[in-house]
Amino acid sequence: MSVIELIGVRKEYESGSETVVALSDVDFSAERGRMVTIVGPSGSGKSTLLNMIGLLDTPTAGVVRLDGRDVTDFTEDELTEERRTGIGFVFQDYHLLPMFTAVENVELPSRWDTSLDRRDRAIDLLERVGLGDRLDHRPDQLSGGQRQRVAIARSLINEPEIVLADEPTGNLDRDTGRTILEELTRLKDEENIAIVSVTHDEQLVEYADRTVRLVDGKIEGQ
Amino acid sequence: MSGITGILRRFPSAQMAWRNLGRNRVRTALAALGILIGVVAIASLGIAGAALQQQATADLGSLANEVTVSSGADSDEEGVSREQTEEIRGLVTDAEVVPQRTDATTVSSRGRSARVSVTAVTKPDVLYDVSSGEAPTQLQNGALLTNSTARELGLELGDPIEYNGNVYRIRGLIGSEQGFGGGGDELVVPLSAIDQDHYDTVTIVAADGDAAVAITETLNERFNRDGRDENEELSITNFADAQESIGSFLDTLQVALLGIGSISLIVASVAILNVMLMSTIERRGEIGVLRAVGIRRGEILRMILTEAAFLGIVGGLVGVVVSLAIGFVAFQLITGDPMGVLTWASLRYLVYGFGFAVGASVLSGIYPAWKAANDRPVEALRG
Ligand SMILES: Nc1ncnc2c1ncn2[C@@H]1O[C@H](COP(=O)(O)OP(=O)(O)O)[C@@H](O)[C@H]1O
Ligand SMILES: [Mg+2]
Repeated sequence: MSVIELIGVRKEYESGSETVVALSDVDFSAERGRMVTIVGPSGSGKSTLLNMIGLLDTPTAGVVRLDGRDVTDFTEDELTEERRTGIGFVFQDYHLLPMFTAVENVELPSRWDTSLDRRDRAIDLLERVGLGDRLDHRPDQLSGGQRQRVAIARSLINEPEIVLADEPTGNLDRDTGRTILEELTRLKDEENIAIVSVTHDEQLVEYADRTVRLVDGKIEGQ
Repeated sequence: MSGITGILRRFPSAQMAWRNLGRNRVRTALAALGILIGVVAIASLGIAGAALQQQATADLGSLANEVTVSSGADSDEEGVSREQTEEIRGLVTDAEVVPQRTDATTVSSRGRSARVSVTAVTKPDVLYDVSSGEAPTQLQNGALLTNSTARELGLELGDPIEYNGNVYRIRGLIGSEQGFGGGGDELVVPLSAIDQDHYDTVTIVAADGDAAVAITETLNERFNRDGRDENEELSITNFADAQESIGSFLDTLQVALLGIGSISLIVASVAILNVMLMSTIERRGEIGVLRAVGIRRGEILRMILTEAAFLGIVGGLVGVVVSLAIGFVAFQLITGDPMGVLTWASLRYLVYGFGFAVGASVLSGIYPAWKAANDRPVEALRG
């Protein structure tokens, strides 16, 4: 069964008097243990689609299902709860908190649930991405690749079903980018999660189990 | 610091808030400084007011049992007549009745001279405390002089002093800080020294303030009320009334001082509003990430309010310490006893100042916190 499913999703933005159609009639799904990569030119709606999948934004029309449940009409607070328990995020700019160490950054999404202590899992995840000796380093003491590994570990802390990565290698050199994607691929298998990544770098498509091409807000071939 | 870290670990919003304040220390310090100044303004002005109040109470306390009688507004007489005085003696049994005549003169000695007020009395011991020499029950041909005047003129105990053609010997020196408004130059001579039939004032020294109030009432009833009409034959005042009106004046002063202090705290909280707004705008993306990874709006709200509260607590605590130091100095200057600050009457202004500081800071944090918490994560992440 699909972890996430979008059916006939449309997204419009009102900018001034104009209406921009960022996505039109998009069907999409992702399964555990698979990496789907979304490619397409700039402005084609990749980020918009990822925001729909990540429950960060709601569609103008269409249906979003998470684990088979229709979450289209969930309130912001309900969506926040679904993101916290089920979805991990990796961003192009890493977005780590500068005042926190690597292990504290990884723990962060679990901290507000006082019934959990995920310190051990945070350390384990950092070791698994090769940062066992950088646990107490602050982001400014880490390289770009290392920061992105911390971000990957953070995305996995709450044992999500799906991890979303918007241009995760966008700020990295090609070799580092490759190792990051290898890391993601390995963790996807170890944790049995679905990964949806967005890239404009066609070279990185080789890591995908499936590729979806977006052009002008439409999925090619649909 | 590790203690704080340990506690904060259990309260993630508080920990985030604490770390965020550490990020831009100069800005944090300046915002806290604003609050500090506000607290110092409120607390030290409040404490200074309390010192004034305490000093006024102490000064008036020694006079509160006295009733002063003089000629009333509706009287034809120049002062208080002998008959009236005898009548007062008849009405007032448990108190000393001391008639006085007053005058003013210039006293000279060794080429120096001083303007003094002259009081002629029969029983100086009831009205005056002397710092050296004695205050006899009858002066006969002796006199009392205020300490400072004697020093000014180079006079000592036993020296002669001339008034109205007669020479008196100085038998006692009156402490210069005698009562409220004390310190004025005063010469005390026997009642017979001033040659007039009536008395200018009659002072009644009762057992305590309540007795003085009761005597005032009795005398008013006798001399100043004719059936239902008011007819002020004698002016009868007691210091209990004066104390009350000075007390209420000081209360007003206190409110005014606190008002001035509060304005500076309001200015400080506008600075906090500005700092919090700037720091949440700078961290917009970061807060967006927190929201994306599932941290609830309420938790973002709490985090930013906690940050504002920390600014208030840090500024407030330092402000309390500074104000306490100022309080010691104010009490030393006003009452002469720095330890006098250690009473609830003045220490409460530290509590108020601190409370207002934290309150004002949290209030200032509400808008930035609300704004940050309700920013949609997609918008925040787009930058
Ligand atoms: N919040 C928004 N308001 C208005 N237009 C937007 C907004 N977000 C995206 N768009 C528009 O939607 C289209 C798709 O944007 P995006 O999903 O960011 O593309 P991509 O990530 O593929 O570069 C673009 O034309 C963009 O200008
Ligand atoms: Mg994009």
